[in-house]
Amino acid sequence: MIECIDLTKRYGKFIAVDHLTLQMAERSALALWGANGAGKTTVIKCLLGLLRFEGAIRVDGLDVRRQGRAVRQRIGYVPQELAFYKEMTAFEMAAFYARLKGAPAERIDPVLEQVGLSEHLAKPVGALSGGMKQRLALGLALLSDPPVLVMDEPTANLDAAARSQLLQLLAQVKAAGKTILFTSHRIEEVETLADEVAVMERGRLQFTCDSTSLAQRIGLRTQVKFIVPGHEVERALEVLRDGGLAARRNGVGVIVDVSHGEKARPIHTLSRARIEVIDFEVE
Amino acid sequence: MQGIAQTTQASTPYGHATLQALIDAAKPGDTVLVPAGVYVGPIQIDKPLTLEGRLWPVIQGDGQGNVVAITAPNVTLRGFVVRGSGTSLDREDSAIRASAPNSVLENNRIEDALFGIYLERAADSIVRGNTIYGMELPLSRRGDGLKIFYSPRTLVEGNVMRNTRDAILWYSPDSPVRGNDFADGRYGLHLMQSDRHVIEENILRNNSVGVYVMYGSGFELRRNLIINNRGPSGYGVGLKEANDVLLEGNRILSNRVGVYSDGSPLRPGSTVTYRNNLFAYNEIGLEMLPNTERNRFHDNIFLDNGQQVTVAGGGDLLRNEWAMDGRGNYWSDYAGFDADGDAIGDLPYAAKSLYDTLTGVYPELRLFQLSPAVDALDLAAKAFPLFAPQPRLSDPAPLMQPPALPPTPGLEPAPTTANLIVALVMVAAALFIVWAGRRGPGGRRYVNVGKTHRATARS
Amino acid sequence: MNITVIWTLAQKELRDALRNRWFLLYTAAFVGLSLALSYMSLAGAGIAGFAGFGRTAAGLINLVLLIIPLMALTVGAQSLAHEQEQGTLAYLLAQPVTRAEVFAGKYLGLAMSLLASVGLGFGIAGVVLAISDGAGSPAAYVGLMGRTYLLSLAMLSVGVLVSAMSKRGGVAIGGGLFLWLTFVFLGDLGLMGTALTMRLSVGQLLWLSLLNPLQVFKMAAILDINATLDLLGPAGIYAMQEYGQRLRIIFLALMAAWIVLPALAAYARFQMRGDF
Repeated sequence: MIECIDLTKRYGKFIAVDHLTLQMAERSALALWGANGAGKTTVIKCLLGLLRFEGAIRVDGLDVRRQGRAVRQRIGYVPQELAFYKEMTAFEMAAFYARLKGAPAERIDPVLEQVGLSEHLAKPVGALSGGMKQRLALGLALLSDPPVLVMDEPTANLDAAARSQLLQLLAQVKAAGKTILFTSHRIEEVETLADEVAVMERGRLQFTCDSTSLAQRIGLRTQVKFIVPGHEVERALEVLRDGGLAARRNGVGVIVDVSHGEKARPIHTLSRARIEVIDFEVE
Repeated sequence: MQGIAQTTQASTPYGHATLQALIDAAKPGDTVLVPAGVYVGPIQIDKPLTLEGRLWPVIQGDGQGNVVAITAPNVTLRGFVVRGSGTSLDREDSAIRASAPNSVLENNRIEDALFGIYLERAADSIVRGNTIYGMELPLSRRGDGLKIFYSPRTLVEGNVMRNTRDAILWYSPDSPVRGNDFADGRYGLHLMQSDRHVIEENILRNNSVGVYVMYGSGFELRRNLIINNRGPSGYGVGLKEANDVLLEGNRILSNRVGVYSDGSPLRPGSTVTYRNNLFAYNEIGLEMLPNTERNRFHDNIFLDNGQQVTVAGGGDLLRNEWAMDGRGNYWSDYAGFDADGDAIGDLPYAAKSLYDTLTGVYPELRLFQLSPAVDALDLAAKAFPLFAPQPRLSDPAPLMQPPALPPTPGLEPAPTTANLIVALVMVAAALFIVWAGRRGPGGRRYVNVGKTHRATARS
Repeated sequence: MNITVIWTLAQKELRDALRNRWFLLYTAAFVGLSLALSYMSLAGAGIAGFAGFGRTAAGLINLVLLIIPLMALTVGAQSLAHEQEQGTLAYLLAQPVTRAEVFAGKYLGLAMSLLASVGLGFGIAGVVLAISDGAGSPAAYVGLMGRTYLLSLAMLSVGVLVSAMSKRGGVAIGGGLFLWLTFVFLGDLGLMGTALTMRLSVGQLLWLSLLNPLQVFKMAAILDINATLDLLGPAGIYAMQEYGQRLRIIFLALMAAWIVLPALAAYARFQMRGDF
């Protein structure tokens, strides 16, 4: 469905994307994984025809450079943070983009219903919360029911509740059979949404892997914060370190650095030592 | 007219022979009534006669020379259409050419003529109520609609002239010119070497020059409407070496230059007086050569001329009197005030725009007329007095209110209704665009549908 | 080119312009000043007993030269750069639209908003003039408005070009204001100085000044109203003698060039850009 061949983007001497070749099957979901500056967003901007690039990108067999409009017709795009015309209402915004996309006006209501904005149609976009804005962005992307959904860090600027709400929505969208390409640096996002992951570093594709094995492949570590009774903090640190875990004190709590997939280990260690865990938090 | 004259009715009004024969047959002093019809010219009238047309008989020239030639004194020609003169400027082919005193040319209609009425050594004549249309020729090949030459004491009154070159009065002193309407020519009225003229209540419109007075003395121009006289050297009124001139109550509007004054007055002790005139909407209100003296201005209105007063070639006009007996003129650009309430401005009006001074010396800079850069230049000159030029004139007693003017003939009303409609259409169109914009993308319909849909879904 | 897309974008642009406070301020200033001017002319007409549209028109020309370029250059300069800075342009271009459509839609919308502004200014002043017999012939008034509109389009094109060349709204506005100063003041003052020091011939002076679209507008408007360029002194008389009625075509061609060429250049720049 999406095909990048030798995609290269230079800014003067700086190479943002370096001979990237990628293929995506229809109805699959691919995450572009990498740190900030790895070139993920650049790939998406090239795909949308916003940047000039070397190499070729094809969507549904259509060339991005020569058939840009047809390509974009097939893509619903959700930016990292939607730049809004602040004074428009959510509904006006949807109506505006529906007309640009040639989507029928009857689609507006069901789509906004789908993304849970039915109660907020008459609000100016500037007054919506971050989560609502991002759901509106998703709604706009889905207006013309395009086969492909392209998202740039869709949940990056959201709080936990808004993030899970959006991920739920996206899971539905995926289930409905869309091809999804998105950039991310959040493992939970990747694990929920992606089938495959392409890992990028400094513009180059390092490897691709199954989304479930990503954490392991990249040796992902997670910090878990525990709250234990104040008089037990010293003992907890000792016990954890004895158990081979990297632990340090943080205010009233203890922070433990674990690899992805063994977040429960410190709890076991602490409970074996009969130290009460009052609360914990995964960062 | 002679009391014993006989009146003859022409009975067979056909052909050249008929009218000429009639004239030949008439006795001096007779009155000949000529019925409607087309009479072949040219005609010569060589004895004192009164020829009176009934229902506009036409004297049709053959396109050669003059159509009617009057060679005897005391001839009256009245009520004819005279047309079809020759086209030779050298011979000055004319519709009516009178070369004897006491000619009366009245209520004739002259068409298709190179020269219209030409009085040559025809003193004490009357040219009244004639309508003169020139030929459709380029200006350089047209003749004079009216030429009064060496014919003193001739009355020129109530004539209408269109599409000719000039109306000329040369070497014809004491000839009043009154109530005429001369338009679309070169010189509306050209007086030369001719003294003591009263020029009253004429309309001089759309000529290159309205009135040009050259070399003479004793001119009174009163209550004329002098409007829209333009062209490369267009003047409303031009004065060249004219002495003892009075301009009073004239409306001098919308000309290239309202009044152009060159060496007037010339003779020591004589003056040029401007009183109660309106200079308005001219590109230049008054243009004078430097070092002009003994011009007196009071109770005039200088209203919104592109430049009120300029000095051709630079210099000043300070040796003229810009107020008489404590009354100056009304200047629409006067920025002073009247604290003591005597209707006279407390500060003198001084014309010292840097740009105006510059254009006096470098007239090509007039190209920048109306440009905001000009205002900036003058503002800068005011802010930095270093660059401020010397004043070109100073009116010590500028009037705070424009004085009342006597009426002049011939002002037309503006097309009010049409203008109002046009303006309202403009506003409506603009508001329509605003409305279209307010609807915004998507349109109202969607919003309403969305809201009602929601309301019904919930209820 | 998809007409619906262009029209949708044009409507959006028009709506934005009508909410843009600078645009509203300029429009209000234009309407207000042209009204004041009409009243002043009317006071004059009362004195003269004569409809002095010549002077009203002269005042309007002066006013148009000052305000219209400022308005059109500002909205033009804001058009692309401002939206790019806000990020809305990139999102817009990620939709199934072509850059040609986006450009055409924006230009059309801005052109309509300028038409509204010019129409309001001339219309309201015209009502006052008409009621009080101050206007000349309706044709002359409509002609002046038409020429004003063409000038505003030319300035819009230049402003959009500035916008297409800048990435930041502030830079674009600065560029637009500088061009305004140049067109309105610096160009003419410089040319005056040049004419005085170099002793330019009237022909050279005429053509150099015609490089400035404001001068083209001014001369065309004067020619419309007066039927001659006497007002402009020797250079104007030279123009009449040398070119006569062909001047109308020359003025129209120059103005068309000022409308079309910067707009094309702006479009080419916009089309070529790959940095959204």
